[in-house]
Amino acid sequence: MTPVLELDNVTKRFGGLRAVKSVSLTMNAGEILFIIGPNGAGKTTVFNLISGFLHPNEGTIRFQGQDISRMSPHRAAQLGIGRTFQIVKPLPSLTVLQNVMLGAFMHTRSPRQAEEASAKILDFLQMVHLSKFLASGLPLAALKRLEIARALATRPKLILLDEVVSGLTTSEALALAALVKRLPEWGVSVVGGVEHVMQVVMKIADRVIVLDYGAKIAEGLPAEVVKKPEVIEAYLGPKFKELTQ
Amino acid sequence: MSLLKSWKFWALVAATLVWARMPWFVQNNYQLQVLFRITLFAALGLAWNLVGGYAGQLSLGHVAFFGIGAYGLALFHQIPLPLWLSLILAATVATLVAGLIGLIAFRLRGPYFTLATIAFGEVLRLTAANLDVTGGAIGLTVPSLFHGRTFWRQFYLASVALTVIAFIVNYWVSRSRFGYYLLAIREDEDTASAVGINTARSKLWSLLLSAFLTALAGALYGSAFQFIIPDSALTLEISVQIAIITMLGGAGTLLGPIVGAALLLSAQEVFKNQFRESHLLIYGVLIVVVVLFLPEGVVGGLERLFSRKPRAPGSSKPQPALGGAAQ
Amino acid sequence: MIRFLQACADGLLTGALYALIGMGLALIFGVMRIVNFAHGAFLMVGMYATYVLFDLTALNFLPVPVYNFIVGRFGEHGLNPYWGFLPAGLFMFAFGWLIYALLIQPVRNRSHFMQILMTTGIGLILTDGAQLIFHADYHQTNIDLVNRGVHLGPFGANAAEVLSFVIAVAFVVGLRAFVVRSRTGQALRAISQNPEVAPLMGINVTRIQGFSFALGTALAGVAGGLLLPRLYLFPGVGEDYTTKAFVMVVLGGMGSIEGAAFGGLVLGVTESLTSLYVGNKWALIVDFIFFLLVLSFKPSGIFGRQRA
Repeated sequence: MTPVLELDNVTKRFGGLRAVKSVSLTMNAGEILFIIGPNGAGKTTVFNLISGFLHPNEGTIRFQGQDISRMSPHRAAQLGIGRTFQIVKPLPSLTVLQNVMLGAFMHTRSPRQAEEASAKILDFLQMVHLSKFLASGLPLAALKRLEIARALATRPKLILLDEVVSGLTTSEALALAALVKRLPEWGVSVVGGVEHVMQVVMKIADRVIVLDYGAKIAEGLPAEVVKKPEVIEAYLGPKFKELTQ
Repeated sequence: MSLLKSWKFWALVAATLVWARMPWFVQNNYQLQVLFRITLFAALGLAWNLVGGYAGQLSLGHVAFFGIGAYGLALFHQIPLPLWLSLILAATVATLVAGLIGLIAFRLRGPYFTLATIAFGEVLRLTAANLDVTGGAIGLTVPSLFHGRTFWRQFYLASVALTVIAFIVNYWVSRSRFGYYLLAIREDEDTASAVGINTARSKLWSLLLSAFLTALAGALYGSAFQFIIPDSALTLEISVQIAIITMLGGAGTLLGPIVGAALLLSAQEVFKNQFRESHLLIYGVLIVVVVLFLPEGVVGGLERLFSRKPRAPGSSKPQPALGGAAQ
Repeated sequence: MIRFLQACADGLLTGALYALIGMGLALIFGVMRIVNFAHGAFLMVGMYATYVLFDLTALNFLPVPVYNFIVGRFGEHGLNPYWGFLPAGLFMFAFGWLIYALLIQPVRNRSHFMQILMTTGIGLILTDGAQLIFHADYHQTNIDLVNRGVHLGPFGANAAEVLSFVIAVAFVVGLRAFVVRSRTGQALRAISQNPEVAPLMGINVTRIQGFSFALGTALAGVAGGLLLPRLYLFPGVGEDYTTKAFVMVVLGGMGSIEGAAFGGLVLGVTESLTSLYVGNKWALIVDFIFFLLVLSFKPSGIFGRQRA
């Protein structure tokens, strides 16, 4: 079975700064993988690299066996990589339904079919009652779901969720997490990026990778990884590491 | 959706027929000329709307296509080639040039794009003014597409026909996937890319369509006045005028460009009798007023007033993303 | 060879003035991200302001008693432009601030589209307003400095050009020092580099932005005043300069004041060489083509850090 996503010693530099340092990972279809790490660890950069908004300086990225290291964002999307953005980007003068239709249009030219496909997705995300409202002015929880809905409408094989629950209340976050857990039902593998909300990570992640200053410092099951000293040190600083000894 | 049952469709048809009959109500050729210019600018506005309204790319270089249409008609006919073939070739050349401009300019965003379009327009004007084959600063005579005593009436009807075509193109775009893609590009190009839209290609297509129509209008204009000079027909002023008409009426709407053309050019006529040369001042004031108080234009503002798209309860008032209304 | 160097020298002399114009625009765009398509119009207004100070009879559009009072008090001939540019510059500073407060501030946070339209509108009002007030006549100032020459070996230059070069360089250096050393200048740079964080540092963003807009306008006005002796004055004189200013700013990298100054010099020399080898008419076209080339291949400019 070809892994759905492989990063092979990927490095990304901005001027003198190495934002991502020789990161490698493998992911199989149907998995829910979370990349965690403190602010500035490089999570969003990794997402930008996978989705084609940035290209690696070294290393390769393979999606379903195909090298996508130098691909443009729209090509990556067409191949089956969907994403949400850390700062939500609804298209403000379109309705919720129209926003999602944009994703659905990848597979049909007909507005009517796009509408039907979008309705199903909005139903899954429990947003049908919001279909006719303008996307601007919606509360954050709805906007986060809209991001997912729009990406899901492109029928991706891999979806990148960057800080998808940040800014939500705990109950909103858990509700959304429950939906994210079900994404593999749509044939989608999930990579999530999270800085804090560990409850969510513990509940739904199959595997966790920890980044710190651009390098991978730990990988494994959620419960194991969070106990590791190097992870605690990365988040809380060296003093706390001693506490765990 | 059955078009034939829609009352709006029949209202538009009726309005078009009335508009086409205008020459018969008008006393003299000068007034007919004014109507001709209003209708032609409505067509120009509709053509620009594809790029500036739907795709949200503020092009201030459209006069380039306008000029290529007119000069092309004259030059191709000089070869000599038949009139109507020359017309099609001129529009085709304009479209090819648009392709070139698009390849360069669309890699730029925001004000850089606008600057590039201005630069292209000016390069064209200065080149036409400096080359002998284009008649230099003195200009060229443009062959007349129509003849006879009623030739102004024929030109007028041709302009109406062009406006109808431009309107139909706008309508088709607004209802199609292509139109959605352009709106997405207007609001946020990164998001558009993330859902698989090839933004460069979509923008290019909107420019090609727009350029073709604009060139036809330019050829018609040059042919009606039988003369074309760089300093009056290839100026940045015309590009700005086209953009203002559409913005004033409502960029991104179907009727906006038409309303804008009617309003602006009528106002110009009225003021021409009061002040000799101050039409630029009017434009300037209108632009400032529209930007400050009515960024979506007349039609856009009206649409929002009677909008069928409510905002979610408990939400804050949205800021206009671009100042142009969507469908 | 001599002609080549002479053309370069001429280009540098003109280029210094261009640098003033470009720096003004770089201030406005760098600090405020405002796309100011009215920059050339401001230059034109500065030029007229300097002209009016030089030849007070130009004020004959004013109501008769006011005009008589002014001419009675000050006589018909006023300041030499090489002094007059200073009060004109101050006037332009105030004028710029007024425009900022009334028209620019409301659109400060709107899209570039709207800003471009707004400043285009302002430019049209200014240009046509000037035409309404002063009519489309060409005016010329005759100062004997323009007719005198200065020689350095085989190279000659117009005394007036040299004087304006010196003044322009003084302004450029002074501006750079101001931006780097003074508190206001530092605030300017702070806003330019990080507009979101700046207010958190206690910087009154609105006031600083107003200041930079006014300063940018004043620079354009000063350049206009210095150009007055060398050009024919008419309402449309500023139009080409907006584009030239943008070429300079793009060349130097948006937001970089030094870059814009450098861009001004490059532009001056390029125009001069083009005039020498290809012909005068093509100079402006070369400006545009140069501009398009820079935009195509290095949109962030020679000194710039930001993406286009």
